[in-house]
Amino acid sequence: MPGADKETDLSERIESFLSELKRCGSGAGSLRGSAETARETTALLRRITAQARWGNAGELMEIIRKEGRRMTAAQPSETTVGNMIRRVLKIIREEYARSRGSSEETDQQESLHKLLTSGGSSEDNFRQHFTHLKANVIEAINELLTELEGTTDNISMQALEHIHSNEVIMTIGRSRTVEAFLKDAARKRKFHVIVAECAPFCQGHEMATSLCKEDIETTVIPDAAIFAVMSRVNKVIIGTQTVLANGGLRAVNGTHTLALAAKHHSTPLIVCAPMFKLSPQLVILLYKNYFFVLILSKVNAHCPVFDYVPPELITLFISNIGGNAPSYIYRLMSELYHPEDHEL
Amino acid sequence: MIKDKTFEFKNGGDPDVASAVAAIRSLLEFLRRDQSETILGLRENMTQAIRRLEETDSSVAVSSGGELFLRFISLTSLEHPDLSQCKNVMIERGELFLKKISLSRGKVGKLCHTFIKDGAKILTHSSSRVVLKVLENAAADNKRFTVYVTESQPDSAGKRMAQKLRKLNIPVMVVLDAAVGYIMEKVDLVIVGAEGVVESGGVINKIGTYQMAVCSKAHNKPFYVVAESFKFVRLYPLNQQDVPDRFKYTADILKTVKDLNQEHPMIDYTPPSLITLLFTDLGVLTPSAVSDELIKLYL
Repeated sequence: MPGADKETDLSERIESFLSELKRCGSGAGSLRGSAETARETTALLRRITAQARWGNAGELMEIIRKEGRRMTAAQPSETTVGNMIRRVLKIIREEYARSRGSSEETDQQESLHKLLTSGGSSEDNFRQHFTHLKANVIEAINELLTELEGTTDNISMQALEHIHSNEVIMTIGRSRTVEAFLKDAARKRKFHVIVAECAPFCQGHEMATSLCKEDIETTVIPDAAIFAVMSRVNKVIIGTQTVLANGGLRAVNGTHTLALAAKHHSTPLIVCAPMFKLSPQLVILLYKNYFFVLILSKVNAHCPVFDYVPPELITLFISNIGGNAPSYIYRLMSELYHPEDHEL
Repeated sequence: MIKDKTFEFKNGGDPDVASAVAAIRSLLEFLRRDQSETILGLRENMTQAIRRLEETDSSVAVSSGGELFLRFISLTSLEHPDLSQCKNVMIERGELFLKKISLSRGKVGKLCHTFIKDGAKILTHSSSRVVLKVLENAAADNKRFTVYVTESQPDSAGKRMAQKLRKLNIPVMVVLDAAVGYIMEKVDLVIVGAEGVVESGGVINKIGTYQMAVCSKAHNKPFYVVAESFKFVRLYPLNQQDVPDRFKYTADILKTVKDLNQEHPMIDYTPPSLITLLFTDLGVLTPSAVSDELIKLYL
């Protein structure tokens, strides 16, 4: 029966995605980088919308939430999965509201105004059936996918506004977004890049090699030299793994040191992060991500994978929708996600 | 008549109820008994009633509750120009509003207690029912933590808070107001309540809060404020002197004393730069998000 085939096909794909997620934590999987994870998640959610059995928006949201919880449990450190799920849930809510013909999209958030003026239960439990809802949701998800494809380009386009000739830029580790950002500026400007190597995996080395290929003057420094070199740096440009709801960052280890050194020298710290990295969470358990390095047989070295950088140390966020101050992140978040979806 | 009502709600009634909620309840009762023929007359009567309420209790919370109620009337009267219909809608919505805001303390408690980790040492100031609720929720979640409370002179409200916490089996220690700097290195986080949250994202709270905030900034400790959304007030003080006198001193002092410079203020203003996060029933907000909320209401 074609229906049963579709379902088994769907559950197979979900299972293979889950195992990919579990493997990517150990660096062995094929999902490299958050952009790919975001794209794969969104494509899978589109497939679920198209192939799963659901009668109204409420049921679809339940299915997506259920699968979403499994996905986030498979790899808790990969926050883009959760972010994409929340985006899709918001899309479903918007499409539902539009099908109902109400202007409720603007009134989604809790506010003092809503507390005062709502009379009686305007509780929307998404039970109404609309024939075109599926097509509309899939179309909106396609738009989301197009947006995801273009994020790195949109960020790189802003490079020339921020990087000027003969500047010294510092970065840490390897971020694909920052790489594209710097390469785009290098087409028209001459500047110097200092890359902190970011032990113990030393991804900074790969970054430096890649930048050199575009004829950008690059220097690699050990992490301990960050403070010493900072006085000669004009700007610090970094990527991040996640942007938290208060404007803080969860970035590769060593970033907090870099941020503090930049603050001390009053050097602007610019974070290049696409919108899909914005997470509504505030407290992400950091102490679970550690790598163990065996130096001698009796010595264990604990190596945290991520750092928390507080919002006070950040000057500017450059995302695919433009530049924003860290204090404005809460606003961007309220536009991307619905408050009821913060907890999946 | 309004005074009898307020006394009934505040002194005789439930001490657990926030003063703004009691004020709004009495205003709703006043609305029910009001005899005016026009909406303008109704508004005038309401404004007078609010002024009487502020004379009894000059706290920021009552003022913000009153202004919210006035706003509520204006918004409703815009939709229903006919007075009798308007009144019915107002009473119905007023009841709903009251019900929602009496639940707000519980919502705040649920949001905040996840930020309290096992083994945490918490510092709080004076006596706040919302902070009590947060700590209650955290204790119910089987978290172990210690609480330091400042004595909070001149009314020793901190000692009352300590008693309530002891009843919940939470280890608590009362410290002098002057010992905040001394104790700050031991604590992990600071949680305070608020009497009012101002437009800039700062808070107005019992005197001594500003001191605590400055200390916690110096020691890099997170400073959290827990407040319900009806405490948002349309003030924008730039410094301590900007806070209106009618909030700083109790109603009796305002009436009897000639030279206010000789009196000690009961509240102070903490600027938003010292606050890490605000926990409200509208969600967890950064101080910059507060003005957004107020704009949504008043514009």
